[in-house]
Amino acid sequence: MRSHLLLPLTALLLLAALPSGQSRAQAGRAGLPSTGFVEGQPFPALVLPSAEDGRPVSLADFRGQKLLLHVFASW
Amino acid sequence: MVGILQEQHPDRARLFMQWKQMGWPLLVDSLNLLEVPYVPVTLAIDEYGVVRIVQPPRARAEELEERFLNRTYEKPTEAAAGKTLAPRLAALKAATGQNTAAAWRAYAHALILWGEAERLSEVISAYQRALRLEPEHDPTHFRLGVAYRKRYDSDYRQGDDFQQAIRHWSKALDLDPNNYIWRRRIQQYGPRLAKPYPFYDWVRTARREIQARGETPVPLRVEPGGAEFAHPARSFAPGEVLHEEPDPRGRIYRDKGRFVQVETTAVPTALIPGASARMHVVFRPNLAIKAHWNNEVDDLVFWVNPPAGWQVDARELTVANPPATVSQEARTVEFEVQAPAGGQPGPVTIPAYALYYVCEDVNGTCLYRRQDVALKLEVKRSAP
Repeated sequence: MRSHLLLPLTALLLLAALPSGQSRAQAGRAGLPSTGFVEGQPFPALVLPSAEDGRPVSLADFRGQKLLLHVFASW
Repeated sequence: MVGILQEQHPDRARLFMQWKQMGWPLLVDSLNLLEVPYVPVTLAIDEYGVVRIVQPPRARAEELEERFLNRTYEKPTEAAAGKTLAPRLAALKAATGQNTAAAWRAYAHALILWGEAERLSEVISAYQRALRLEPEHDPTHFRLGVAYRKRYDSDYRQGDDFQQAIRHWSKALDLDPNNYIWRRRIQQYGPRLAKPYPFYDWVRTARREIQARGETPVPLRVEPGGAEFAHPARSFAPGEVLHEEPDPRGRIYRDKGRFVQVETTAVPTALIPGASARMHVVFRPNLAIKAHWNNEVDDLVFWVNPPAGWQVDARELTVANPPATVSQEARTVEFEVQAPAGGQPGPVTIPAYALYYVCEDVNGTCLYRRQDVALKLEVKRSAP
């Protein structure tokens, strides 16, 4: 199984938290480059097309609920 | 749960999701506007849009529940970024009057995301303007590559769009060799020696299993090609010569592109001595004169004559005729070459030719023709 394939939801719910203070520098020290995201910072206000029909969707549309966001590819 | 795709062809991920029976909302970020250097990236985001956990490890579910799902977060004093509507193209176009790289990029991003396919040439032109002002901006090279490949897959394709995509993805990777997504994009179309795994080998199984469930698989606008199914190899395997060369003296009359137009792409475009490249050759009947394949006779044959010292994994390739008596589909051959270990740096041409039966119009004259194909590559100096 390639590491970048998406996780089934059940597997994702098995994810445990990193230390909440993890920073870019700590991610770098763990051997991987930074993801570019920092805990405690807002997720960027991007509007992207829906894969299904191309309509614009903003992550802000999901405001008011907790969200697990998975950035992935099927290759 | 929401997914964001880092993929040139997002419908392939939709097929994957259908196969795995996952119904999350999926957003497309082919341009990598998120600027993630690799995938997967998982984020736990609270109800106010604030990132709370980056890359939660895949263990201890109870800890994730306790530290994220069951936790109440305070509303941030500084409001998280609000909802941003899709940008207005007219305003962004007006801003390009300032002639800054940022303005050209913003216009290009919006145009490729929200414009029609017929505007891809404008997208390409806008990214080129941005690169003229900031030639070393690696994400722009990557995104220009995405735009070229997108135009290549559209009805507005121009002859070397795929090769241009490879050039700009390669330039992006040269500028930032640590970006995993850019590296994978070239490997997706590249030679077996450079492949980490077959990229889309799951597609056939997915379709079979979806159909077995009684569902119709998500249609793919662009079918994965040979390079995308190919398995990695540890050593270069030269192809055996099974037949005599079909036209060694060049006696068959030439088609110089009137009936069939040829596109060639080398991946990568430049290689060091001893390395390999994958060559993509596409034949398209010239629809302007209603040219079409005559399928009642022999298959298309492609023959490669590698220069001295060069190896190829196949000297002869064929494209089987479909069942219809005539057709106008694009036909593709892919093969791999290996540069000689002691080769000198500089441009190299690999000569090849195709033989095919083509007709000018329905019920018109059908001809057997040869088209010579010059495949261009660059040998670069080995790293010291």
